[in-house]
Amino acid sequence: MRLALLLFLAAGLSAQERVVTLPGRSPLVTFRIVFQAGSAADPAGQAGLAHLTAAMLSEGGTRDLTYKQILETLYPMAVSVSSQVDKEMTTFSAETHVDNLEAFYKLFRSMLLDPGWREDDFKRVRDDTVNFLRVSLRGNNDEELGKEVLYNVLYAGHPYGRHNAGEVSALERITLEDVRRFYREHYCRANLILGLAGGYSPAFLEKVKSDFQKLPAGRRTQVRLPSPPGFKGLRMTVVEKDTRSVAYSMGFPIEVTRGHPDYPALLLAMSYFGQHRSSGGLLYNSIREARGLNYGDYSYIEYFPRGMFQFEPDPNLARSRQIFQIWIRPVEPATAHFTLRLALYELDRLVREGIPEDAFERTRSFVSKHVNLLTRTKRAELGYAIDSLFYGIPDYNSYVKKAVAGLTREEVNRAIRRHLNPGRLQIVAVAKDAEGLKRTIVSNAPSPMTYNSPKPKEILEEDKRVEKFPIPLSAADVTIVPVDRVFE
Amino acid sequence: MARVLVLLFAAAALHAAGPARKVFPFPYRQADLSNGLRLITIPTDYPNIVALYIVVQAGSRNEVEPGKTGFAHLFEHMMFRGTAKYPPAKYEAVLKAAGAASNAYTTDDHTAYHTTFSKEDLETILQVEADRFQNLKYPEPAFRTESLAVLGEYNKNSAAPTMKLFEVLRDTAFDRHTYKHTTMGFLKDIQDMPGQYQYSLQFFDRYYRPEYTTLIVSGDVDPARVLALVEKYWGQWQRGSYRPRIPAEPAQTAPRSGHVDWPVPTLPWVIVAYKGPAYTDTAIDSAALDLLGAVAFSENSDLYQKLVIEEQKADIFGPDNPDRLDPYLFSIEARVKKASDLDAVRDAILKTVDRFRTNPVSRERLEAVKSNLRYSFALRMDNSETIASTVARYVALRRTPETINRIYDMYAKVTPDDILQAARKYLAADGRTIVTLTGAARAAQAGGKAQ
Repeated sequence: MRLALLLFLAAGLSAQERVVTLPGRSPLVTFRIVFQAGSAADPAGQAGLAHLTAAMLSEGGTRDLTYKQILETLYPMAVSVSSQVDKEMTTFSAETHVDNLEAFYKLFRSMLLDPGWREDDFKRVRDDTVNFLRVSLRGNNDEELGKEVLYNVLYAGHPYGRHNAGEVSALERITLEDVRRFYREHYCRANLILGLAGGYSPAFLEKVKSDFQKLPAGRRTQVRLPSPPGFKGLRMTVVEKDTRSVAYSMGFPIEVTRGHPDYPALLLAMSYFGQHRSSGGLLYNSIREARGLNYGDYSYIEYFPRGMFQFEPDPNLARSRQIFQIWIRPVEPATAHFTLRLALYELDRLVREGIPEDAFERTRSFVSKHVNLLTRTKRAELGYAIDSLFYGIPDYNSYVKKAVAGLTREEVNRAIRRHLNPGRLQIVAVAKDAEGLKRTIVSNAPSPMTYNSPKPKEILEEDKRVEKFPIPLSAADVTIVPVDRVFE
Repeated sequence: MARVLVLLFAAAALHAAGPARKVFPFPYRQADLSNGLRLITIPTDYPNIVALYIVVQAGSRNEVEPGKTGFAHLFEHMMFRGTAKYPPAKYEAVLKAAGAASNAYTTDDHTAYHTTFSKEDLETILQVEADRFQNLKYPEPAFRTESLAVLGEYNKNSAAPTMKLFEVLRDTAFDRHTYKHTTMGFLKDIQDMPGQYQYSLQFFDRYYRPEYTTLIVSGDVDPARVLALVEKYWGQWQRGSYRPRIPAEPAQTAPRSGHVDWPVPTLPWVIVAYKGPAYTDTAIDSAALDLLGAVAFSENSDLYQKLVIEEQKADIFGPDNPDRLDPYLFSIEARVKKASDLDAVRDAILKTVDRFRTNPVSRERLEAVKSNLRYSFALRMDNSETIASTVARYVALRRTPETINRIYDMYAKVTPDDILQAARKYLAADGRTIVTLTGAARAAQAGGKAQ
């Protein structure tokens, strides 16, 4: 790993400058400009302010150029600037060919440092944000909807408790003046991490560093992030929506983040239980492979949005708090009760029995090699390096490889028992017949399975246990929410 | 020992005199085994990682029998159901130990199986993949179970109105060609799949043959070693004899239209589509239409600026001209913010089409588009997996990365007059299909809450 992490503390730079660089011989140059302030810093009643601010920079004009002129300039270079807002981080990223480096950077710098703040840009990015929440997320994607509602449920009343893009009613109230204030307050050197990778020259790096000195020194954004509200027992939220099938997401907050001593053990456990979009995980094998109940089933210990479109998570979603999560892809309504039981049964078994010895060795090998794939582009490598700075760990590859090499099976099982408590699960379902699903589940009546083909004896025997697996939910524990109320 | 024909293609040196540098910058080796299998090896500078793409030139285009749509895609699933030597659990264990990321996808024209892994596992991966392509064996119960996972995939896709929109577009625009159905297939055929075990075996026997298959290996590899391993594990694979008869689509003689009423609130869509040419790297047609799409309808176009940035009537807008083996569709797609603007957006698209059938594009705009295409391609070449996946898309069309250089050379040659001629030839009202989609009114679902 050729990671040069440079911390400039003095030498003419007033604030503590954080610069992450990965120089190389590639004809491409990658930028990741991170501000350590995100949607958790949205003021009360202004959910979506951080998102709109970032969008005004990446999808709006500068003081000198309209957005139309920016698109015209960027087009021949085939470069686009994108922004990503998460709870504690806002990231602007772009990649250009070295042929166009100077011309692109001149523009990129103005976009971040001299925004145009035009009303027509503001109207457009706000419309886009509302349409994202109402149409793309709520209307078109039951799986992502379930995942995001789960976060809102788990973090109700907490700075993490609203979608990163905000809430429709708040978005409609936010003004351009609010956006400019957010920019002045949070886009400062104290929050800045400059990331640069690829075939740039040392002189170019110096120029970038010097240009970003233009930002005010400012103060690091501090948001109090208390423990999320505790849940005594199982609860369920059903989002009622006219849809073909039933999508589930379920989970609970955990104390483990990338810097935590149990992170490597829990990472290995999750790979065994439900490696993202990979066949061979325990959940996948049981629910899809053996029984054909849906398209896939996975588990997570870090935020992973857009998982239905991508195989690897985006970097720069670093958070001080994470959740454990199970994602059950849509199932036919007739098997929805059984599938939920099966997921809970498998989680219960994981906690009771832990990981078997042979699977432990295999998964350890997988995790230590799979990190190479996660960082196979300069773009990703740079993103992971910035996240490592956030979490205070060495570069991610060597950190994971070294840590999993030293793990024992017993340490993994201990981490599972310590952090995964199935009794605390909060379940979110997206379903058409919400009342019916609720009634069926709280009845706790057996949900026997029939299949379209003969099944091995051990599957049928297991089904006998699963069909009666208790889900301790009473009617009072289940809340039904019409989809139109979500993210409003 | 299989006889092997090896061809070496070196990219022109960066500053070499003569022709401009090739857009595909990597020297590669192309080798044909005597059984018809083709191997393309692309060594790259990216360390440790190897990407393997196995391209089978069979997709939903090959689904010629009625009631059997969706089988190419179903087969993509069945390929993970194991062999006698490597049953699914053992196959998964091998991939797991290799830290491999493995998946597959199906399109109209091809199916691709891809695995990305660390270089020390090259032989293992080539061996297990060779085994499943030659010795796939799955019992009927496993087939029936997997067909349900395909229904699950249909279900998870079905929340998006665009899936329905494209189903209706194809069904309306095509009469006989198999592009009439999407790669997922018709829902009724998917529901009927569990009973089609025998047909699935036939599908495998027809298409999973070396002459339909190309292996692409890119990354930290030595081409001679890759070739030796491929000969060792893939050399015994038997050639087949089946050739499908894909029905030709008769010429369309009048404009067509379709509409989707989406049951829940969503933003309206309009697609204006025209019958386009099949992919070609020897005639100017494909290249001219790609450039026309970009000049007239991309984010750099006047119409995008007007509809998305200035008037803000649409929030998603752009052209689509996918490369296909047979004549397919050139289309312009728009998501409109207000249903009352749907007709205005459609008319603006039609008016723009007319303009480009009458007036040649400016040279300056054309050069910007050519530059965009070249740099877009260069920006994608940033890791071994994307290099292999990009080559796979082209290999599906012409079985060689050289087609990339040929089509980009063609882009360089396109003149304003070529674009005018392509617009006149292909964007005529007789070959047009317009499909719209509108959602239910929002208030109907709001439960009395004002919006």
